[in-house]
Amino acid sequence: MCPTDDLKRALGSVADAERPVADPAADLARARSAASARTRRRLRLGLTGATTAVVLCVGAALVLDRAPSDPGTATSVPDAPSSGVRLVAERFEATPYTFDLTPEGWSVQAQRPAAVTIAPDDGSTSSSPDDFAGKLVILFDGNRPSGRQLEHEGRLFWVSGDSGYTALATRTRDDEPAGVVRIQYPDGAGWDLDSMVAFLASVHVGPGARQGLG
Amino acid sequence: MRDDERSTRRATEFVAFTHAHRADLVRTAALLCAGDEAFAEDVVQTTLTRLYLSWPRVRRADSPLAYARRSLTHVFIDEARRAHRRRETTMAEPADALGTEPAAADADPALREAMLAALASLGPRQRAVVVLRHWHDLDVAETARVLGCSTGTVKSQNARALAHLRTHLGALDPTLEVS
Repeated sequence: MCPTDDLKRALGSVADAERPVADPAADLARARSAASARTRRRLRLGLTGATTAVVLCVGAALVLDRAPSDPGTATSVPDAPSSGVRLVAERFEATPYTFDLTPEGWSVQAQRPAAVTIAPDDGSTSSSPDDFAGKLVILFDGNRPSGRQLEHEGRLFWVSGDSGYTALATRTRDDEPAGVVRIQYPDGAGWDLDSMVAFLASVHVGPGARQGLG
Repeated sequence: MRDDERSTRRATEFVAFTHAHRADLVRTAALLCAGDEAFAEDVVQTTLTRLYLSWPRVRRADSPLAYARRSLTHVFIDEARRAHRRRETTMAEPADALGTEPAAADADPALREAMLAALASLGPRQRAVVVLRHWHDLDVAETARVLGCSTGTVKSQNARALAHLRTHLGALDPTLEVS
């Protein structure tokens, strides 16, 4: 027997195991569900073909324009978040940003000096990192934070939102580049405010970060 | 064409494609995942969902199956390198995971077990090179295109992977040749 046949036979011993036959209808149902979720997210955001610049501006505008700030009424956020998306205590890098928590089932799609895009792994969102619909976006800029104020582990956070998205902002730590780090996340994707505050609090802004123009 | 007609056409084509090629994708995924059947099924399901979401591209492809295999390879590599995914650590012995999976009637169980162990000891990209080159018979250039790397990288990964497989499988059967 020739060597190629030997290797193919060995590979075939693994590949050709007997398996139950799957019903294509189940695959179709999953695919349609993912397509519906994508459509809903796009409709909520009012985007069918989003661009980076437009969404960055919208995200920042949401943060700046919504609910008036009330520094005197800061409320406390519980330390233990609970939501549909599970945060795992595992550090990951998206240079120049570092995260102490990892959202299970979501992955970094793009990292830039002024923004990081994190998308769900289920394939329900665009593979283009410039399309932010249905994804988390972490932004860094110098604009004044505004919105409802919360306190978590001694830091202040500002929350605002509209059009199916919530935006959360906090000032960077003393040993980080000065500015405001923000996160914009889609409502209805399994996130809640407590987990998102914990997630944003876990962001470390590295020296390579550059403020965006939001 | 109206939206509902378009949707029905997409669904019909998708089901026909899945009916015809799902088993092929599962076999490829089983090799890529070194016999971890649950992981392989996850990879196939994710791939099929992605294919449905970009069905017009699948339809336009010269070979929809080749397009699907390429997508499957990308999904596998993406999944394998996710920092929070630690599937390998959940398996004490790669062959154990297959212990309950019935092999093909005419398969050599010892060869299968050795091949599983050998594949599991390769890195994800080396495994992908072996599967693409020696299971799907893609040439070096096409393998490089699928993996998004140079032909030199494919050659060197392939050489290292084959040397590794030779060591594992040669111990099982000295007459078995891998090249």
